[in-house]
Amino acid sequence: MSLVTTRAAARRIPWGWILGLGIPALIFVRIYYLVAVAGERDLAFFLGAALQAMQLGSLYALIALGYTMVYGIIRLINFAHGEVFMVGAFTSYFLFTLAPFALPWALLWSALLAWGVTFVLNLWRGSMRDPLVLAGGGVAFVAFAAVLSTSGLNWLAAMLLAMLTTGVLGVVIDRVAYRPLRGAPRISLLITAIAVSFLLQNTGLILFTRNQTPYRPGTSWTEFLQFDVAAGTVYTSRLVFLIPIVTAILVAALTLFVTRTRLGKAMRASAQDAETAQMMGVNVNRVIATTFLLGSMLAAAGGVLWGLNFGSLNQPAVLGILPGIKAFAAAVIGGIGSLPGAVIGGVLLGFLENFVTALFPRTGDFPGLTEYKDTFAFALLIVVLLIRPSGIVGEDLSEKV
Amino acid sequence: MPGERPIARNTLLTLGVVAIVGLLLAWAQGVGGAKLNDTLALFAIWGIAALSLNLVNGTTGILSLGHHGFMLIGGYVTALLILPDSARQQISSSARSAMTPFTLGLSVEGAFAALGLQALTTPGTLWVRFLVALLVGGLVAMVFGLIVGIPSLRLKGDYLAIVTFGFGEIIRLTASTSLFAPFTNGALGYAGVPSEFGKSLGWTFALLGITLFVLTKLKFSSHGRALQAIREDEIAAEAMGVALARHKVMAFAISAFFAGIAGGLWVSYLSAARLDFFLFFLTFFFLVAISVGGTGSYTGVLMGTAVVVFVQQYGDPLEQTYPLETWFALVGALVLAAGLGGAWFRRRTRLRPVWHPLTVILAAIGAVVLAVALLAPNWAPFDGTFQAFGMRRILLAVLLITIMALRPEGIMSRAEFSWAWLLRERTAEPSDEERAQDAWLSNPDLNRPGGAADAGGAGDAGDAASTAVGRYDYASDHPSAQGDPLPRALLDEDGPGAHPLLERGSKPRDVQRYGSAGDPAFHEDGSEGAPEGVPEGAASGPDPEDADGAAGDARGDERQDEHQDERDDEGRA
Repeated sequence: MSLVTTRAAARRIPWGWILGLGIPALIFVRIYYLVAVAGERDLAFFLGAALQAMQLGSLYALIALGYTMVYGIIRLINFAHGEVFMVGAFTSYFLFTLAPFALPWALLWSALLAWGVTFVLNLWRGSMRDPLVLAGGGVAFVAFAAVLSTSGLNWLAAMLLAMLTTGVLGVVIDRVAYRPLRGAPRISLLITAIAVSFLLQNTGLILFTRNQTPYRPGTSWTEFLQFDVAAGTVYTSRLVFLIPIVTAILVAALTLFVTRTRLGKAMRASAQDAETAQMMGVNVNRVIATTFLLGSMLAAAGGVLWGLNFGSLNQPAVLGILPGIKAFAAAVIGGIGSLPGAVIGGVLLGFLENFVTALFPRTGDFPGLTEYKDTFAFALLIVVLLIRPSGIVGEDLSEKV
Repeated sequence: MPGERPIARNTLLTLGVVAIVGLLLAWAQGVGGAKLNDTLALFAIWGIAALSLNLVNGTTGILSLGHHGFMLIGGYVTALLILPDSARQQISSSARSAMTPFTLGLSVEGAFAALGLQALTTPGTLWVRFLVALLVGGLVAMVFGLIVGIPSLRLKGDYLAIVTFGFGEIIRLTASTSLFAPFTNGALGYAGVPSEFGKSLGWTFALLGITLFVLTKLKFSSHGRALQAIREDEIAAEAMGVALARHKVMAFAISAFFAGIAGGLWVSYLSAARLDFFLFFLTFFFLVAISVGGTGSYTGVLMGTAVVVFVQQYGDPLEQTYPLETWFALVGALVLAAGLGGAWFRRRTRLRPVWHPLTVILAAIGAVVLAVALLAPNWAPFDGTFQAFGMRRILLAVLLITIMALRPEGIMSRAEFSWAWLLRERTAEPSDEERAQDAWLSNPDLNRPGGAADAGGAGDAGDAASTAVGRYDYASDHPSAQGDPLPRALLDEDGPGAHPLLERGSKPRDVQRYGSAGDPAFHEDGSEGAPEGVPEGAASGPDPEDADGAAGDARGDERQDEHQDERDDEGRA
C-alpha cells in the first residue's frame, strides 16, 4: 500500500515529458530565432553542429559503455576508466608513430598482447591448460613480435592492438586493485578507483609525455569535407562518417556478445544478482574480468577516435579526466547499468553540449557559452542524479533496507 | 592522592606537551631552516583541511570529493580581503586584468577605515585583518557548503561522492569564466598575498590546535554521536530519532568552514591565489591522509597527513634525474618483489600451487633485470638518464591502494590517541600462579555474597553484600575482566594506596557505572572510598580480546559514558 502511494507521489511530476519535449522545443525556438529573426546563423551551421554532436556523442557513448558495464556488475563507479581511455589513446599513438620497434620492446609488447590473447582464448575454452589456448598464445606471441619488429602500423591496426593492450590493462587493474576488495564497502572500492586513476595519470606522465601531443596517423579520414545544402554550406570532415560507423560496429559487436553468447548471458546474470549467478555455476570473477576487458577495449577505441577527432592529445594527467567524467555523466543520463542507455546518454550529451555553444554564440559583448561547456556537463550530471538517478531507461536503484 | 584526579593529570600532560611542541616549533622556526619551517607549516595547513574532510568522510561516513572547491572559496576570499594596496594597484594597472574597481575596493583595510578604526589599518595590525579575512573566508565557504550540501546530501554513497566531486569542479571551472573573472582575476589570480601567516608556525599550529579541539569536542558530543550513528547505519540512526538531513548538512557546513580556513592559510603559504593551486589532487592527498591514518580518527588523520606531507616535501629525490641502470635496477627489484610477494601471499592464503607460473615468471624477469642492471651498468642500452616527475604521487596512490586492500580502516582505525591509553598499566604476562589465583578469585560461586573469596572487607555485612553484588556483575560480565593482568588479590590488600591504579579507580562514579546503580546502599558505601571499587585501569586498560591495544582500547572508550570521554578529551592532542 505504502509502496504504491510512494510511486504515485514520485510520478506526479512527469520530468520525462517535460524535459523530453521541452528541451527540443526550446532548442527549435532558439534556432528559429537565430536563423529567421536575428539572421546570425544559417541552417547549415546547425546541421554541421548536429553532425559534430553525433561525432562527439559517439565518443562519449564508447567510453560510457565501460562505465555502465562495470557499474552494472560490481556497482563501482570506475574512476580509473577515463585514465584507461587515456592509456588507449597514447598506446595507439606510440604504435603508429614508433613501429617498427627494436626487438626487446617488440618482444615485451607482444608478450603482453599474447597474454591478452591467451586470456580471451581462456574465456572461450575455459582452461589455461587447454592446448588450443597455449597454442593460440604462442602463435599470437610470434605473430605480434614479427609484426611489431618489422613493419609500421596504420591507425586501424594501431587501434586494434591498442584495444588489446588496454584490455589487458583493464583486467590487470581489476585483478590487482579491485578484486581484493570484493565484498568490501562500496566506498572503499571507490577510493581505490580514485587511487588507480591517480596512479595511471602520473605513470602516464612518466612513461608517455608531459606535453600536448599531435595525433596525426596520416589517414585520409581526417581530411576536411564541405558540402552544399539548400540552406548553405556545411563544413565538416570525413570523420563525421567514420566515428559513428566504427562506434556502431563496436556497439553491435558488444550487443551480440552480451545477448548471444554464454559468457554474455553469464554477464547479464551476474549483473542481475551476482550471488545467485555464482550459485548457478557462473564464475563471477571471470565475468567481471571480461567486463573490464571489454570496457577497456571500447575505451581504447574511443581514445583512438578521440585523437583522430581532435588531432592532438592533451597531456596524460588531464586527458582522461574530462572525457571520463562526461562519459560517466552520459552513462548516468542514459541510466547506469544499461547498455542502450549508455549509447543514448552519450549521444544526448554530445548533442546538448554542442548545442549549448552553438545556440549561444559569441556576439558583441556577450562572450558566448563556450567556456561553460564543461560546467554544463557537470551540472547536467548533478541535476540528473538529483532528479532522476535511474536515468532515462534505467531501473530504480533506490537502496533497500 | 585525592587531589590528583585523572582530569587534572591529563590536562597537565596535555599542557606540557603543548608547551613542548610550542618550544620545538619556536626552535624550528628560529634555527630549523626554511625547508623544515615550510614542511611544518604545510603539515598544519593540510592537517586542518584533512581534519575537516575527516568530519565528513570519517565521522559521518559521507564520501565527499569536493573539498578543494571549498578551499578555493576560502582561499580566494581571504586573498581578496587581505591583498595589500600595492598588489591591488599592480592588478588594476595591468592591462590584462579583469578586476573591477568594486572588487579592488573589497578589503578588510578599507572596511576598518570606513568604520573609523584607523588603528587597525596600520602595518603592525595586519594580523587582525588577516584573522578577520580568514574568518570571512571560512564563513563564505560554509555558505557554499550549505548551498552544495542541502540538495546533494539527499543522495547516498558513491552518487553523493560524484555529486560533490562535480560541485568541486564546477566551483573551479566557474571561477575561471568571464562572469567571475572580475572577482577572481581569471587564470592569473592574485599575487602578493602576505605570506607571513601561512608560513608562520605559530599561526598555522594555533589554528590546527583549534580545529582539532573543536572537531574532537564535536565528535564526542551528542551531535557527534549522531553523526557516527549515521555512519554506522543510516536507516537505524533515523529510526533512533537522528535527524539525518540536519546532521549531515551541519557536518558538511562545519567541514566547509574549516576547509575555507585551510584555504586561506594555503593561499597565504603560497603567497598567491591561483586556480591551479586548487585542483583535485588536494582532495586526493587528504583522502590518502584519512585512509592511511584511520577513517574517523582525528589523531590518526594527523599521522596520515604527516606521511603525505613528508612524501610531498622530502620525496624529491624520487623525482631527480638518475642514470638508466638505476631505474632498471629499481624496476627489476619491484618486479622481483611482486613475484616473491605474490608467492608469499598465495602461501598465506593457502592457495596452491604457491609458485604459480605468473609469480615465477615475474620473479625471474625481475631477477634478470636487476642482475643485469647491477652487474653490467655500462651496457650500451643503459646509456642515458631518466627523470620521473610524478613519482611522489605514484607513491601516494600505491600507498592508498595497498592500505585499502590490506587495512581499509587505516592505522588508527576509529580510535583516538588518549593519555588513558598511553599510560595504561603495562604488566608482564601473569605467571601461571597468578593466573590460577585469578581464575579462583573470579569464580562466580566463590564470589557470591558471603562466599569464601569475598574479601571485600567493607566491614558492615549488609552494605558489603550489595557492594559485592556490584563487583560481581562487573567481574563476571565485563570482557576485560576475563584476562585482566592485574591479580585480583591486589585489589583488596591494603586499601587505597596499595596500587597506583587502585587510587585512581576508587571513585564512586566508576564503580557505579558497572555496579547496581539504583541501589542507595551502594552509593553510601561507595562515597566512603569503596576500597574494592573497580580500578579504572581495568576499565580502560588493554582489552585482551583485541590484538591491537590501541584500537581495542579506544573502541572501549567510545562505549563508555561521557565522564570517561571528558577525561579522555583532555588527553587528545
